[in-house]
Amino acid sequence: MTTPWFSLVLMAPALLLMALLFVWPWLRYGWLSLHASSLLTGLSVVPNGGANWSRLARDGRFWVDALQTLRFAGVSVLLELGLGLLMALVLHRPSRGRGWLRALVLIPWALPGPVMALGWRWILNDPYGPINALIQRMGWPTVAFLATPSTTWFSTVVVDVWKTAPFVAIVLLAGLQSIPRDLEEALRLEGAGPWTLLRRLQWPLLAPYVTLAVLFRLAQAMGVFDLIQLLTGGGPAGSTESLALYAYLQAMRFLDFGYSATVMLASFFLMASLALLWLGWMRWQGARTR
Amino acid sequence: MSLMPSRRRFLRLLLSAVPASSTLMTRQGRASPAPSPQPETVRLLMPAPFVDALAPAVARFNRAHGDVQIAVTRGPLDTEALSDLASGSLLLGASAFDLLLMDISWTARYAAAGWLVPLEPLLGEEAMAQMVPEARLGNAFGDHIWRLPLSGDTALLYWRTDLLPHPPRNLQEMEAMARDLQRRGRVRWGYVWQGRQYEGLSCVVLEMLHAFGGRWWNHVSGRTDLLSPRALEACAWLANLVRTGVSPPGVANFAENDALQLFSSGEVAFLRNWPYAWGLLAREGGPVSGRVGVTPLVGADGWAGGGTLGTWGLSLLAGSPRPQAAARVIRWLTGVETQRELVVSQGYAPTWPSLYADADLRAAHPLLDIQRRALRTALVRPITPLYAQLSDVLQRQINGLLTSDLPPELALARAQEQSDLILRATGARATP
Repeated sequence: MTTPWFSLVLMAPALLLMALLFVWPWLRYGWLSLHASSLLTGLSVVPNGGANWSRLARDGRFWVDALQTLRFAGVSVLLELGLGLLMALVLHRPSRGRGWLRALVLIPWALPGPVMALGWRWILNDPYGPINALIQRMGWPTVAFLATPSTTWFSTVVVDVWKTAPFVAIVLLAGLQSIPRDLEEALRLEGAGPWTLLRRLQWPLLAPYVTLAVLFRLAQAMGVFDLIQLLTGGGPAGSTESLALYAYLQAMRFLDFGYSATVMLASFFLMASLALLWLGWMRWQGARTR
Repeated sequence: MSLMPSRRRFLRLLLSAVPASSTLMTRQGRASPAPSPQPETVRLLMPAPFVDALAPAVARFNRAHGDVQIAVTRGPLDTEALSDLASGSLLLGASAFDLLLMDISWTARYAAAGWLVPLEPLLGEEAMAQMVPEARLGNAFGDHIWRLPLSGDTALLYWRTDLLPHPPRNLQEMEAMARDLQRRGRVRWGYVWQGRQYEGLSCVVLEMLHAFGGRWWNHVSGRTDLLSPRALEACAWLANLVRTGVSPPGVANFAENDALQLFSSGEVAFLRNWPYAWGLLAREGGPVSGRVGVTPLVGADGWAGGGTLGTWGLSLLAGSPRPQAAARVIRWLTGVETQRELVVSQGYAPTWPSLYADADLRAAHPLLDIQRRALRTALVRPITPLYAQLSDVLQRQINGLLTSDLPPELALARAQEQSDLILRATGARATP
């Protein structure tokens, strides 16, 4: 016999933990965003009405960074989804050494972010990185991968996809493995090729896994920090600065904690809206196919 | 029943412990009527390279002092990462450190945040009076001294002695020399420096503005001064280095080590870097070993050059429970003997005039005379708690100038406008 009260009691420890880890920090951020706490106030916390929020509305750098973060997250996650699905389909096929292959694919994901970012900074170095060495050997001029806004932005996306596509692949592989074999075999007996199999069976059944992977990755990509900080420092000319990096600069370098909290909270709202949009879209897709 | 044996064992243990502890108390009481106090441990946070450089001085201090010991924490290599670590610790209230080895550009910010203790009450009003005048800059803010420097480093110009008969006398001559060597295929690039969007670029711009008769900061008005024709000329010249191929396009993402690596490969005529590069370039067996000269940074024709003052110094952190012991550590680590060691082992410029006058030291370390000359024209970055914001604005705009078609006048106008906004928004006073 379960009553709503009994369920609540059972859930209480988890709810308490969630409140401590998520709700309390956000309440605290909300409170701080309505206060000035900077060098000007001697780091003490002074109410300033909605001054931080009106500053945010007029802060061109925040909006540019928001667009840059959205662009980075959108493009990275889409590419990771495509590449991850491809990798998952390859890993799903029974073949010799599949276990080894699965472990190998996970290596980029297992590497610590800062180590990976520093490694890529060297790989993309102009003129001494391995890629430019190869380009020079072929008689072409070197490419300053991290010194022009367009190539730098592209480089950050490539590095992020390289690192996190394996994560998406593993999540989708779990989804593929959960699809009953007899369904696949039945469809094959009907003469379905790999494309029909994917479109008619695997993709619809993968939907919850895709949602999971996309939400995870979207949250991470919207909060990207270590990769940008170490690979480009937000440059050139701020063209790769993310919202997390901007909030970090406001807090740790400029010691403006009130405004930093405002930036963090605003990026959270942005992220939450995106997640809701995605969920809504997936539901709509689900309803349409049904 | 089953608990009985363990309870008995516990009692036995307890009983056996009582005589043992009383023995300890008696022994202590008899053997040392006046127990020697525990040595005070002064906790010091430093960037990794300084931990190694100062290891002998710290070891000597710990051997010589029974009552005070230094415990060093190895911080990150990157200057700003160290500041972030220290800020994080200080924001928690009770810092885990007593002393912090600080970059010159942090002094005003840390002092304004209330994180430092004035040093005069501990070291005396004249703590810096005997130091080289230029090395004293950037340590005071408001009415107090917050930091005692242990080095007097300024940026320097490295040049190739095997390719050039003498160092350039001005920037135009340097550019002409570089282009000539490039044209004759002797070097691939003319000049490498730090163009990445970080603090190093602010130093380069400060030097370049000064080299063309301009300035970044007006101490009197408390505003940035980036709209002058001199500033425009300086930034246009810098951007042209990249646009005309004297400097590689990759320089826009170069920090100190990236530039040093390219120069040490032998493919570049000139390098802007700090004194530490000298020891690395002079190492036996390198492609440019024995073929590098060094000189103070030069100005444009008709203007004086100058290198950014990039000193490191020790500060006492607020809340330290042992200020007196920490003051003794500051005296030791900034003292003449420690700085002599740093000259010999690292090539760091000292702050004491006696070391620049020491004939033996000068003979063994020819860099010392050049460093003294460079120190006379050292340039100080704006001393304001808002320096980090102003520097951030300048870095973004100048890096944009180097990596796009942004005209220099627009980059400077934006930098000036954004700096004005920051100063106005915070109601900051220029000077305390």
